[in-house]
Amino acid sequence: MSKYGLLETQIADQKYLIAALGEMGYRVEVHPQGAALVGYEGHERQEKANIIIRRQQLDSASNDIGFTRASDGRYVARLSEYDQRIGFNQKWLNRVHQFYKEKQTIATAKAKGYVFKGREVVKTEEGERIQLRFAVR
Amino acid sequence: MAQKTVTIIIDENGNSEVDLEGFAGNGCSKVFEDFRGSDKIKTERKKTSFYNPAQTEKQTTTGR
Repeated sequence: MSKYGLLETQIADQKYLIAALGEMGYRVEVHPQGAALVGYEGHERQEKANIIIRRQQLDSASNDIGFTRASDGRYVARLSEYDQRIGFNQKWLNRVHQFYKEKQTIATAKAKGYVFKGREVVKTEEGERIQLRFAVR
Repeated sequence: MAQKTVTIIIDENGNSEVDLEGFAGNGCSKVFEDFRGSDKIKTERKKTSFYNPAQTEKQTTTGR
């Protein structure tokens, strides 16, 4: 059984988290009251989460990945040591942040009356940067 | 009058930059706050336009 660690994120809005994970190709389960994560052997674990990516979408030996809403409203990622070793690590979480921020920015800007003018992905030595442009009415 | 535009650049670490063009003085502060949301400010740099009307301002925030 692989041990779970806690990697804290500052993601606080469920809908943008779901949208970000969807952009990355994952279908998630939403459990407002929390549901048990399932380990690679198919047994429920003691850890619970509100947003869950089931292991079948990950590696054949993966455990579920979960996001649990903490008391301060932010989501905390629950990732097994095994899954962190095979790439579902801080870098992967950072990409979740990137897509989350994009979804949040576009929605918030439109709600506040800004006009979306376009999206561009710029490749740099530090990785892909998402560039969003808005005009003021 | 220059077109007021906002450019947001989000890197792979989830950090973002807010670049404001066509704003002057404190007029850009509200716009910056609109895009900042609850993010923590890492660095802030005012362009010369802050002091000379109708130019630009650039600030960096982090969602982390």
